[in-house]
Amino acid sequence: MIEIRIHGRGGQGGVTLAKIIATTRYLHGFSVQAFGLYAAERSGAPLQAFCRFDAQPITNRNLIYEPDHVIVLDATLVGPAITSGLKPNGWILINDPRFPYEFAEQFPGYRIATVDATSIARRNELGTRSVPIVNTALAGAVARVLGFEPESVHEALEHLGFRGKNFDAASEAYERVIIVDDVDRHGARVTHPVTPTQRVPGIVDGGGAERPVIRTGQWATQQPHRKEWTPPCNHVCPAGNDVQGFLQALARKETDLALETLLRTTPFPSVCGRVCPAPCMESCNRLSLDEAVNVRDLERYAGDRGRAEVKPLATREQRIAVVGSGPAGLAAAYHLARFGYRVTVIEGGSSLGGLLRTGIPPYRLPREVLDREIGRILHLGVDVRLDTRIERRDLYRLTLEFDAVLVATGLQELRSLDLGGGGNGESIMQGIDFLDRANREVIRVDDEDVIVVGGGNTAFDAARSALRLGARSVRIVYRRTREEMPAIAEEIEEAIEEGIACDYLTLPIRIEPRNGDERLTMICRRMQLGEPDDSGRRRPVEVEGSDFPIECDRVLLALGQSADLSVFPEGSEVRDGADVLGLLETPVYAIGDLASNDGTVAAAIGSGRRAALSIHYVFAGEELPGLVPAADDVIRAGSLKMHLFESAPSHHGMSRPAEERRLDYREVHAGIADPSEAERCLSCGVCNECDRCVTYCPEGVLKRIGREFIFDYEYCKGCGVCAAECPRNVVFMTRL
Amino acid sequence: MTLELVTGNHAAGYALSVAGEANRGARGAACGIYPITPQTEIVEFVAKYPFSKGRVIAVESEHSAMGVSIGASMAGARAFTASSSNGLAYMTENIMVAGFYRLPIVLAAVNRTLGPPWNIWADQGDTLYLRDFPWIQLYCETNQEVLDSTLLAFRLAEDRRILLPVMVVMDAFILSHTQMETELPEQELVDRYLPPLSLPHELNLNRPTTVGGLTWPRETMSQRIEVDEAMERVPAVYEEHRASFKQIFGRDPGAAVSTFETEDAESVLVTSGTIASTALEVVRGRRAAGEKIGMVKMKMFRPFPGDRLLDACPHVRKFGVLDRDYAAGLGGVWWHDLRATLQGPRDGAMVQNYLTGVCGGDVTPAMINEVIDDLLARRSAGKPVWKGIDK
Repeated sequence: MIEIRIHGRGGQGGVTLAKIIATTRYLHGFSVQAFGLYAAERSGAPLQAFCRFDAQPITNRNLIYEPDHVIVLDATLVGPAITSGLKPNGWILINDPRFPYEFAEQFPGYRIATVDATSIARRNELGTRSVPIVNTALAGAVARVLGFEPESVHEALEHLGFRGKNFDAASEAYERVIIVDDVDRHGARVTHPVTPTQRVPGIVDGGGAERPVIRTGQWATQQPHRKEWTPPCNHVCPAGNDVQGFLQALARKETDLALETLLRTTPFPSVCGRVCPAPCMESCNRLSLDEAVNVRDLERYAGDRGRAEVKPLATREQRIAVVGSGPAGLAAAYHLARFGYRVTVIEGGSSLGGLLRTGIPPYRLPREVLDREIGRILHLGVDVRLDTRIERRDLYRLTLEFDAVLVATGLQELRSLDLGGGGNGESIMQGIDFLDRANREVIRVDDEDVIVVGGGNTAFDAARSALRLGARSVRIVYRRTREEMPAIAEEIEEAIEEGIACDYLTLPIRIEPRNGDERLTMICRRMQLGEPDDSGRRRPVEVEGSDFPIECDRVLLALGQSADLSVFPEGSEVRDGADVLGLLETPVYAIGDLASNDGTVAAAIGSGRRAALSIHYVFAGEELPGLVPAADDVIRAGSLKMHLFESAPSHHGMSRPAEERRLDYREVHAGIADPSEAERCLSCGVCNECDRCVTYCPEGVLKRIGREFIFDYEYCKGCGVCAAECPRNVVFMTRL
Repeated sequence: MTLELVTGNHAAGYALSVAGEANRGARGAACGIYPITPQTEIVEFVAKYPFSKGRVIAVESEHSAMGVSIGASMAGARAFTASSSNGLAYMTENIMVAGFYRLPIVLAAVNRTLGPPWNIWADQGDTLYLRDFPWIQLYCETNQEVLDSTLLAFRLAEDRRILLPVMVVMDAFILSHTQMETELPEQELVDRYLPPLSLPHELNLNRPTTVGGLTWPRETMSQRIEVDEAMERVPAVYEEHRASFKQIFGRDPGAAVSTFETEDAESVLVTSGTIASTALEVVRGRRAAGEKIGMVKMKMFRPFPGDRLLDACPHVRKFGVLDRDYAAGLGGVWWHDLRATLQGPRDGAMVQNYLTGVCGGDVTPAMINEVIDDLLARRSAGKPVWKGIDK
């Protein structure tokens, strides 16, 4: 009689392997038995299966203690137990890619064979990648090792109803098994199994006595671990906001905490909650489920409704000048003041806010909202010098007066277009100037037909303002299509709702000369889209002979702005967040649009914050989060368990009806009434203590103490349920 | 007939199914089923079987499973089910009902330790404890014997002289989950062995009767006596059906009591189930070495075939009874019944009890050798000896 013991793990198919081996013998006239040693073990637990065969009828019905050969389905099971009772000179067949010699020292006196059944199973797509079913491959190896007829395994597989690639796996293993038959046959150290016959304490006399302990953690082939990832919203936020963090606070109805979270990075949540193009929403993983979380309105909600006090964290001696009071300058001032520096903001105009005040109309950003957020910055103890323009000379003086100077004067150079024509100076004007005057309520365009040239936010702000200042009609002329317009999509939408016409693929060529009070005639040319340019947008190409006139009373140019670097010494290299001069002892930084031309409030805030962090690093040597860009470990939708989330429509917030709002300067958008939209945030890659892992752990070996999650690896079998149930990929399995 | 490599569960499931199918000319096959380790594969097999006539009904408990089979049997269907351990305990009320209603139901029982503590391994206690009910009990040592005994069980149960349910019993895992070569008979052969069922007290709308009404002591006692007389007839009727089984299938399904070298033996081991199989090898070896030892394998437990055992062991002075069970406050159940049998006819005989493989422990040839050594050396019987553990 030949007796074989198989060492495997639950789920690897050890019992089936015993059956296949038994079948190969049974089909050749042997009496056989194949059985497993069953218990309550789950997947991964070490298990044994047995097979015995004999030319004579078998009458033994007991277990196998002294096998002739053993088969090891998993190299992690290789250990002293393998040779327990194994007869000298027996075969040890191990599923492992290594050469048998690797195991020879461990098992003297035995014949060893190895076969990489796992790779063979994977190649033949048997089982899953993580749990390949290796038994058919091993059956092929067994046939070779024990000298069965080469066809016997295929016969057995066919008899048992196996299909497809199991046959290929068996043949491949039959060919590839590595056999070492030349070991010293006299060195076997046969260990005889000790049958546990010792009585153990019962239920009554065992109370308080030591009980048998099975450290099931030893069964594990994989273990759960936790790691938090960067949510895409946080990754793309130009201001560096903890978007996921404030959304989760709002989801828990902790509005004050949400605001506090935002104020760690930005002084302008209420502003950005109104004017930010919100790249976070474009990158939101929720888009692959339904719609992006409405982050913009939620930031507005937190900014408007939350209460949080901001105080300087320390008191420091260094004096820092910030030239320009746009979003970049004020953000830098805010952070520096929080860090305890003595900050003076120097503004050329008569009020603070820069483009926030001069460029963004009140119907998008009410002045009381802006004043409130600027007030919070000033409350930190920031000094202000208004009506103080800084030229190159003055900058030099500032470097003597202050310990550091930040220049955040934005884009002062307006791009223009020489269209000829004439008339009084106001009929063709820069959109940004028009907006400034409009916002100061010193201009009206009653009954005029107004044309705005451009496709950015300034163009739309100017167009919508013109409408509110009495224009009879407003049209926007843009040389590309709507897709290429840099303005916020929602603003384009709202403008069209309000009755503003858009002439896409239209290029202004010239304005006809005119006499006296004649209306303007602007000659335009049709365009078509050609090959993509450097920015990836398709280049507009003029269509010959397509010129046509448009009559109007006023043309507003909104063609973009560029930086005026004349304040710096000639030859200065201006880079965002870097010391401009590098020649003087006093650091001078250019920040915001002046340095980077990103063109958004959020980017300006981020630039100001980074500059503040850099200066703090220079003066205090402290490296705060945000100074160095985070590692790119962004979690994408593909890594989330999307099937665990339910689809739910977004709250889009309310707007006043177009026909009403187009007539006045009251705020167009009303925001959202409650923060429940935040509950749609998936908290991508960041634990929000949903506790699914703890709830579903079948072994009770995952405990949560406060905010800490503790795996008891002594008992965790590595079943993987916690990882399978973690919707946000915070819990994941690693192979041991 | 095809030889296949199947488990004990598969053998039982196959036999129940082809027996049920053999009744397609009458009222078909029907049963209630409910799973429990280690018998679940039996009811799975039955549930998948494409019966030409009949129904398999999955219910919510063992009690209901037997309830469905009782109803089906009363209506003339060939009825059966399967269970184990605590499932049998839960089924018990209806197990009794089936017997006293004289319904020829066949129950495939896979011996598993009754919990607590939770234990899934072989121990005959779950069927032996049903010993006082009107059921015939047959214990098997191979998968082939499971299959053959199951077919024979229907023939025996449905015999008009008997009309008692039969439990066909096997050891958990040692048979239920172990693959062994087994002859699977074709339907046609089974049809020849199992004629369509015709139950004398089948429910019939043309002959309305009351079942389950209050019954006076005299009538109830009459029914008990009727059971007793049927039980008396079982060993002889069993032999008839065993003989016809041999004729049709060409195989011996096993005697109620099988013996090995008992005619001149002075000592015998009394065994049942798979222990008999392992013990036979050991006893054969000891006999070959010149020791006057024999072995008895008890296949039938109810009715207890004491006379046959006595006839087969004329000179035996020492009986070593191997029990894979423990009756609290008593010892082994087989031992207890054997002592009662020997009281009177063999007053001088020594009967020693060995509790072997209780709660699923492995019974090895070495353990059986120890038992024989102890039995041969013994001058008088003592308390039951627990084997496999240092008490």
